[in-house]
Amino acid sequence: MKDLIYLDNAATTAVDPRVVAAMLECLGPSGDYANPSSVGHLPGRRARARVEQARGDVAALVGADPAQVIFTSGATEADNLAILGAARFYRERGRHLVTSRTEHPAVLDACRQLEREGFEVTYLKPGSDGIVEPAQVEAALRSDTLLVSLMHVNNEIGVVQDVGAVGRLCRARGVLFHVDAAQGAGKLPLDVNRDCIDLLALTAHKVHGPKGVGALCVRREPRLGLVPLLHGGGQERGLRSGTLATHQVVGLGTALRIAAAEMQADAARVGALRERLWQGLAAVPGALLNGHPTRRVPGILSVAFDGVEGESLLYALPALAISSGSACATTSGEPSYVLRALGRSDRLAQSTLRLSLGRFNTEIEVDRAIGAITAAVARLRAVAPEPGG
Amino acid sequence: MSTDDPRYGGEVRCRMAALPGVGGFGAGPDVVVGSAGSREQGAEVVLCCRIAAGRVTEARFRAFGCPHFLAAASWLTDRLVGAGRDDLAGWDWREAATALEVPAAKFGRLLTLQDAVRDVAGNWPGSPASTV
Repeated sequence: MKDLIYLDNAATTAVDPRVVAAMLECLGPSGDYANPSSVGHLPGRRARARVEQARGDVAALVGADPAQVIFTSGATEADNLAILGAARFYRERGRHLVTSRTEHPAVLDACRQLEREGFEVTYLKPGSDGIVEPAQVEAALRSDTLLVSLMHVNNEIGVVQDVGAVGRLCRARGVLFHVDAAQGAGKLPLDVNRDCIDLLALTAHKVHGPKGVGALCVRREPRLGLVPLLHGGGQERGLRSGTLATHQVVGLGTALRIAAAEMQADAARVGALRERLWQGLAAVPGALLNGHPTRRVPGILSVAFDGVEGESLLYALPALAISSGSACATTSGEPSYVLRALGRSDRLAQSTLRLSLGRFNTEIEVDRAIGAITAAVARLRAVAPEPGG
Repeated sequence: MSTDDPRYGGEVRCRMAALPGVGGFGAGPDVVVGSAGSREQGAEVVLCCRIAAGRVTEARFRAFGCPHFLAAASWLTDRLVGAGRDDLAGWDWREAATALEVPAAKFGRLLTLQDAVRDVAGNWPGSPASTV
């Protein structure tokens, strides 16, 4: 592992040591390990105070009130609770949803479940730059449209959607707006009030927090109804039953508090590393950037190397921890549906690498990655038959 | 190239380290070429064999594809030495699948390799296809 360069931060990140320290304070016999619902005794109240501090940290990051925050097991659960919960609660109001073809499977599969329950879903096709224009959303709205779901930052190509513009038009039309902010929260500014977001899903592990914890911010004024996915002890205002994992929740809160405090500095540094990486790779003949050139999250770069087979390219780069697309999708071996939706050919989609940077990457690592990829591409092209030959 | 990825067997890892047999021969009366596949299909190979006294004496390849496919093409350049036209015409991809522990999901790519071997047989001097 010593010489391995980790460039897969869009899949998950290393937990920041400051987050680890905070989590450890909630474990072990002398820690705040008690059940945060057991407020009848001091250890329980101490754990509850930790949880509420974390709730405040989550809320502060996105301009929400702490009472809006529901802790979940991650963004996938938060997305499912938002989409399934809202659609089932308001099913008499409308049976139509709008989303895009490039959403995360947590959103797309929740929409497909609703289709099985009798809802209709419009899947918008983004432009070749990955952007879904607000006008496309507006054109798709119907009198029975209940909810629009759009991701803030795409997990494969890193493009940033104008969620504020979409939120405002949804609010004006009385349509609920859900944002999957798994890749954007903590990296780019978000404000649920300014951006008219009714439901916002986020996670800890994309911003140097632990896996297994996330949150859903739910609009309170006017109060938004949801049908819960889990039933039991009635925790989280009855929307997410189950004993809260204090250490996980504290990890989420601490990671997001650090992200908020260091957002500008991190964005500048990671963005500069991404630009350095792209400038180095752009010199490789046949390298093509996937997605909009400027509307991008700082850390994600998606590059196709025309004429190179993706699996062999990954194989040739054992010192780099990178992805040939979304980590959620790479086991299938199929070309990325996100890149297909952008109009990329299967051949280009299969020759794509996703390189994603984080807080702990360095210029030296970026330069080594450029060298390794450049050499691997050249070698595989030398092995290949002449194009059209 | 090196990897400890368990999806790839020992022969694939060994072949991918240096890809022995990559290249080609200049055109000549003792050189036979066969090809199959395309980049759009995800697997493309060109096999180039030098022949003498009705047998392959040397073989080279160029290929585009996954590590299993590249390694199988490399392995084939050794396997084909000593083979005659009829051996090539009857060669079956399953031999490579076994030798390189190729997963079932990739068997289709080995059919591309089989097509290239049979294309060499078809282009063999004196074979019916080569005179068409």
